[in-house]
Amino acid sequence: MTTSDNIPNNALPGPLEGLRVLEVGDLGEVAGKLLADAGADVIRVEPPGGGRSRHVGPFVDDDPRQPSLLHASRNTSKRAVTLDLTQPEGLAIWKRLVGLVDVVIDATSPTLLDELGGGWEWAQAQPELGDCVWCSITPFGRTGPRRDWAANDLVQLALGGPMMSNGYDDHSLPPIRPEGEHSVAVSNEYAVSGMLAALWMRNAGQPGQLIDVSIHESVSATTEGAFPNWEYFGRLVQRQTGRHASPDPTAAWQFLAADGQYVCLINGGLPRGNAAWDGLLDWMDEHDAADDLRDEQYQELLFRDPRANPEGRRHVADTIGKFVQSLPAEEVYRRSQSLHFAWGIVRRPEENLDDPHWEDRGFFWEGELPGVEGTVRYPGAPYRFTRSPVRMRRRPPLLGEHNHEVYVGELGLTAEELRGLLESGVV
Amino acid sequence: MTTMTSELPLPLDGVRVTDFSWIVAGPQATRILADLGADVVKVENESYLDSMRIGLRQDPKNPSLNRSGFHSNLSRNKRGITANLFHPKGREAVERLLAESDVVIENYSAGAFGRMGFSWERLQEINPSLIYVSVSGFGHVGRDASYTTWGPSAQAISGATAMSGLADQPPAGWGFSYLDHSAGYYAAIAALMALHHRARTGEAQHVDMSQIECGMVVSAVPMLDYQVNGRRYVRVGNRSRYPSTAPHNTYPCAGDDRWIAIAVDDEDQWISLCEVLGLDGLLEDSRFADMASRKANEDALDTAIGAVTCEREPFELMIELQARGVPAGVCQRTDDKQERDPQLAERGFYPTAPHEELGEHRYEGLPMQFSGARSRMDRGAPLLGEHNHAVLTELLGYSDEEFASMLAELAI
Repeated sequence: MTTSDNIPNNALPGPLEGLRVLEVGDLGEVAGKLLADAGADVIRVEPPGGGRSRHVGPFVDDDPRQPSLLHASRNTSKRAVTLDLTQPEGLAIWKRLVGLVDVVIDATSPTLLDELGGGWEWAQAQPELGDCVWCSITPFGRTGPRRDWAANDLVQLALGGPMMSNGYDDHSLPPIRPEGEHSVAVSNEYAVSGMLAALWMRNAGQPGQLIDVSIHESVSATTEGAFPNWEYFGRLVQRQTGRHASPDPTAAWQFLAADGQYVCLINGGLPRGNAAWDGLLDWMDEHDAADDLRDEQYQELLFRDPRANPEGRRHVADTIGKFVQSLPAEEVYRRSQSLHFAWGIVRRPEENLDDPHWEDRGFFWEGELPGVEGTVRYPGAPYRFTRSPVRMRRRPPLLGEHNHEVYVGELGLTAEELRGLLESGVV
Repeated sequence: MTTMTSELPLPLDGVRVTDFSWIVAGPQATRILADLGADVVKVENESYLDSMRIGLRQDPKNPSLNRSGFHSNLSRNKRGITANLFHPKGREAVERLLAESDVVIENYSAGAFGRMGFSWERLQEINPSLIYVSVSGFGHVGRDASYTTWGPSAQAISGATAMSGLADQPPAGWGFSYLDHSAGYYAAIAALMALHHRARTGEAQHVDMSQIECGMVVSAVPMLDYQVNGRRYVRVGNRSRYPSTAPHNTYPCAGDDRWIAIAVDDEDQWISLCEVLGLDGLLEDSRFADMASRKANEDALDTAIGAVTCEREPFELMIELQARGVPAGVCQRTDDKQERDPQLAERGFYPTAPHEELGEHRYEGLPMQFSGARSRMDRGAPLLGEHNHAVLTELLGYSDEEFASMLAELAI
């Protein structure tokens, strides 16, 4: 279905139009981005030297003086100001900024802003901030014996459990942390639901409140079958190469295709219905690869009594596995999908840039990236809102790009006052 | 749950969701909404059963469809009805439920819900203020919309599989359907955003979600890096390419398949690590003098650290390192988290709840706490058709007689 007529009208406001958000700290950038792309006015507050992501590569032209691509990926649609909250003047401005917004994303630490006197403890004592939704995103939450432990993404994916499910059949190789700072992603996704729920309550006349999001808990909630296997059977799942961890070993489902690219055959490639099976056999016959699989016994063990003959099933899976290894990966992927197998091709991330399906959906957002000539295609949002499009509203902001706009235009400082703050390093 | 917190309101009290979701991705979305207080009514029938009901059944010999702890964890706090869409009265009951709902969520293959009689056009006729969130592999729009995925194939296509593993090994990928979780998280967000839009404008809408796109958004950095710097993605195992820090890896510990993750970010942590491990000699070694040289000699560095961690009990070592401010964490198994993680215990992350057939069990909590609201963990998943009577008579206005005849006619 190619439906260019079904592309949302980008001139329309986003679903969160009118919402105002202040974001501070380094662990809430994804949450801020999700709100900003949906139309909220998100102001990211950074120290005068810039937040963490500006200093983490890769950088444009691999030059650390150029913009960071990590920063770019997490800060579309936001405005950015600089402010040193540890200086009294900076803190005073911070407090005034809080008064401008509906939501504060506080991803600094469980205690920093309260210690400075501009955190949730302060906000909840201000009658005029009674509507404020304050979302704290911290490594372990704001309470508990390990509240102040040190962690980064690797440590979070270790402690939260995903790593023990990811890795290789060979357990002399370590558990694996997938790259991409997934602990930030999942905790921030939960945080957005929490903020939108608290705002929903506010619409219903309830006051604002604190939301205490724990990254450790967010990661701990993201391990699927490991939890029920332990809770109900007292069994631990064991990591396996390229497939689900399981208490008992299962057959391989990731194979190296003839062109050196891997393919992923769900359920070892075994079909879920007769029609798919017939199509697969025809395809295998084209390559003289069906072996004895047309024999009636395989119908029986695939569709009527799967538990009766595990060795027979293993033979079917092995024959299919051998077959796909003789073909190029793209052919395995496209042909199997046309036969209603939910198989996949193991793509490197950049390979999706060439797949026109994502263009059909308007998934990539074409926009500027400072330091780069022309435009780049940003991965967009995983949801298409038909009436209130989620989209990139601004390119990622430069450090302090909106200082004047926010401090003079919206907070009411004079240009001279702002200059003074810049000179004294407050901004 | 304490008396005090149970007096607090549920954030989504009054929001109703018709739930046609199955397996993991859709149920993960409605689980969040139900935990937050929405009245989620799961609609099932023998011809469109949530097949998680037969996944990891507590007693494989018992044919009951109510004995999967996996299903219960995903569908706790929801209500459940059965409705036969092939029977006009069953279909009418579903349409009346949709008319009373704010949101409908499904995660069938693209087009399947329309073939069941619920196209977006039809949904709008039934209830013009109904929000429709669909979750499918490739989305409902686009040339490959008829393709299908499960979590692992979505992960493969999105790039998330390729980004997991050691450089000299095949992709390790994910040992679970990460993109089922992730698609669920995003679908909950989508439903809430659409509710806010509707509150402001009165407009309902269809939100078309793609599971693969949920993986592509976390692969953003390599996609930009390729366009800007021409670099193709290469796996880095557990090391840190960006920022360029070392040591940053998992190291073997004493015990069977025990590992600790250690991630040093600055010189103080480096000194503390060497002192805790008794590797003071490394502090004098020019190969490890600063972050850049440690990074350049990372193989030797990791070997030196692993040679001593393998003698250490992992939890003791973690506590000792954390006491010195070094980011370190054991690669925890599920039993470590559920039985001996003091942080999760103190925060009440594994609350218990009753279930008629499974009994009292623990559930994974919602990873956030509200100061002015509660989330709930009232009960496990609904038995198949458990709330037929309550939903049809109290919510949809059927009389007891009508209900009885619908039962007799197998409409529900």
